[in-house]
Amino acid sequence: MSGPSFATALELGAGAVLVCAVLTMWRRSLAAIVRLLALQGVALAAVALVLGLHARDGVLVGVGAVVVVEKGVALPAVLLRVVARDTSSRETAPLVNVPASLVATGALTLLAFAVAGPVVALVPTVAGRLVPLGLATALIGIFAMAVRRRAVSQIVGLLLLDNGIALVAFLATGGFPLVVELGASLDVLLLVVVARVLGTRLHERFGVLDLDELRELHD
Amino acid sequence: MNGSVLGLELVPGAAAAAAGALFPGRHRVHLAAGLTVVTCAVAAVAAGAVLRSGHGLVVRASGILPLTGARLDLVPVSAVFVATTAVVAIAACIYWPGYAHHGLSSRTASGVLPIFVTSMLVVAEAGDAVTFLVAWELMAVSSLVLVLADQAGREETRSAAQWYAVMTSAGAAAVVLAVVLVCAHAGALSFATVAARAGGADRLPGGTRDVVLVLALVGFGSKAGMVPLHVWLPKAHPEAPSPVSALMSGAMVNLGIYGIVLVADRLLGGAPSWWWAAVMALGAASALFGAVQASVTSDLKRLLAYSTTDNMGLVLLALGLSGLLATGHETDLAVLALVTALLLVVNHAAFKGCLFLAAGSIQVATGTRELDRLGGLVRRMPATTAVFVVAALAVAAVPPFNGFVGEWLLFESLLRAIESSGVVVAVVAVVAVAALALTGGVSVMAFVKAVGIGALGRPRSAGAAAAREVPRAMVVGAGLLAAACVVLGIAPMLVLPSLERAAASVLGGARPAVLHGGIDVALAGLDGVLAPAWIAVGLALAAAVVVAARDRIGSRRPPRRVAAAWSCGRELQTARMQYTATSFAEPLERVFDDVLRPDRDVTVSHSEESRYFVEKVAYRSTVGDVVETALYRPAVDAVRWWGRQARRLQNGSVHRYLAYALVALLALFVVLA
Repeated sequence: MSGPSFATALELGAGAVLVCAVLTMWRRSLAAIVRLLALQGVALAAVALVLGLHARDGVLVGVGAVVVVEKGVALPAVLLRVVARDTSSRETAPLVNVPASLVATGALTLLAFAVAGPVVALVPTVAGRLVPLGLATALIGIFAMAVRRRAVSQIVGLLLLDNGIALVAFLATGGFPLVVELGASLDVLLLVVVARVLGTRLHERFGVLDLDELRELHD
Repeated sequence: MNGSVLGLELVPGAAAAAAGALFPGRHRVHLAAGLTVVTCAVAAVAAGAVLRSGHGLVVRASGILPLTGARLDLVPVSAVFVATTAVVAIAACIYWPGYAHHGLSSRTASGVLPIFVTSMLVVAEAGDAVTFLVAWELMAVSSLVLVLADQAGREETRSAAQWYAVMTSAGAAAVVLAVVLVCAHAGALSFATVAARAGGADRLPGGTRDVVLVLALVGFGSKAGMVPLHVWLPKAHPEAPSPVSALMSGAMVNLGIYGIVLVADRLLGGAPSWWWAAVMALGAASALFGAVQASVTSDLKRLLAYSTTDNMGLVLLALGLSGLLATGHETDLAVLALVTALLLVVNHAAFKGCLFLAAGSIQVATGTRELDRLGGLVRRMPATTAVFVVAALAVAAVPPFNGFVGEWLLFESLLRAIESSGVVVAVVAVVAVAALALTGGVSVMAFVKAVGIGALGRPRSAGAAAAREVPRAMVVGAGLLAAACVVLGIAPMLVLPSLERAAASVLGGARPAVLHGGIDVALAGLDGVLAPAWIAVGLALAAAVVVAARDRIGSRRPPRRVAAAWSCGRELQTARMQYTATSFAEPLERVFDDVLRPDRDVTVSHSEESRYFVEKVAYRSTVGDVVETALYRPAVDAVRWWGRQARRLQNGSVHRYLAYALVALLALFVVLA
């Protein structure tokens, strides 16, 4: 893959990652949010594949394949099963309402572009210019965790954060070594499984998957 | 003898810890105690050899500690502390199996006590910074575990352990900083190398040196129970199981003194005179404060703990005097003062170790350590009481026991210093003599109270009345140290030449010729002679005369008649009518009212029918620690307040915590960009 088409493909993939993140803040249906997350995983994998094909780097292509399987298929499948068990599978009352969340998302994206200057200056390539997109995705992930009430939304926020970091890593450094990526994937997978078990227990105990029920834990 | 014997002593120590932790049943105590005695015996033999020859022992083991390896370097001055620790630990370990029926027999306790003893030995033997600091920390942690070993459920014990943990951690932080600063400047970890460079051109710059000295005084002073850092001592020593109290008070506090000698004299090669004057002043304050507090408390072990502060104050006084004289190039006198300090350390280990062990026996036999509930023990526990009385006489500096020799040397060195040195030393020494005299008197009173109320009279509680003599192991353990008090008191020249070699080696190759004499202690070039053996003979003769005279007079007296008497109102005399520890101390409490700030409370309740009839009068008097209330309470309260404010940030909401993370991250980005 060469020149202009490489740049376009890369911009498209990275842009799709950020757009998916923004859209998760817009949708309320948990199933839709998880499907957006799956889409984001595929977009992230596409970025890795494009970079790998451009650099003729077999390892990076392999990483792309791992990302597709993990973030595009496996994690969303686990989460969808949790959502399916939950009767009221909507994010009914987030701490910050949807329009305000979208405004905040915009602000976080602006901030990401404003503060990513040093990193962009460090990597003077097409990929380097796109680093702020990954940073914005990561910030949106933390924001999602801070304002969403449902356990599934929290996990989704965490995965957004993870995807954002992965995107920054792909763009700024040309990707992790395969071993590191595999290790990180395994960690995230394990975390989601633990969260799923916890969510199930929470559901059995309180009837809902609402984290605010855990307020009683303090002291 | 070569250095590997030092490494060898660690083997039975480790085996003792393992045996104590793993062996089933009560035998683990016997096994752990026995192996610890072996460790101590090896250490004592090595220390004895070093003290005789004046040549150090060195051993390096690269595998024990990561990166730097461990290095043990037994020089004469550390040998004094090793030998002292070893003897106290041997006595405590003989005592321990007897005590194990009542406590200190769990796996934790049996496993940790050998670690505590071994780490104390290693602290004194350590030849490089890393070994020293690791052993120091191990000593602190293991002693903390042992304080909690038996009574972790009791509120007082937990509070004492908390105080101890905070003070010892803060002290350890200061010690680490001080040692690291010195070693970093010298560019070496080995103490021998650092000491060799201290005298050269690249000695520590003045500012850094002052920081190191202040840190060392804080860190080691808090371990030695120096006022105002002593507050953990009267809490932790009484609450710890008695063998542990004996080890802490007889051996561990000494290592605070060792640390000061190590940093100031060995590693820095001397300190400025203001610092030594501060050491003296704090020593005098500790001695006075400890003596006064000891004389008004009615808890036997608390009394002993305050007496430890008192005695360590005297050691600091002698140490400071030695340093002050050394900076004024009065080397002979400086050696004399340092010998005094070392002798005071040795003496204190013997009598205080013994007193804590005997107090443990009393506590075991009567179920209380409150003097107001004791009494009449001399008939019920004659052996333990005899041991206790010997050690108490030694603390009170009564001849012919060891405390007297130490105090005589201290007075001698102070008075010589007045005669022969500059104005500053003379003024300081005069004040110190006055403080010392007052301290001596007050501490005599404390121990008259301990013996008079505790051992004599009639039992003041059912527990004291039912007391039985403790198992032989406990008597022998405490008796060993009592015997040391007698031997050191009658023949101090057994140890003084060794102490003098150690002192001279610290103060830079001064000729060790201050003390000489066979049975007598004579000061070379100064016309002071003490003949403790003759004093003992004289006292024995005097006692024999008194006894004989009493018998003669008694035999001439007409036979006793029994008759009804007026009874002087003593028809009904109960044990409650005796003097108590509180009433004995009351006059002194009044004299030192401003210092002690006692909390007295008299409640008179009247009869229902008429206010003219008093039903009962309740009197309550408690003496706290004025340093604690004035200095530490405000600090503790401030920390509590701060904690309460900080809790507002934390309300249990996961979202709020995540928001904190987000805000922190954004702030970080903004700052970095």
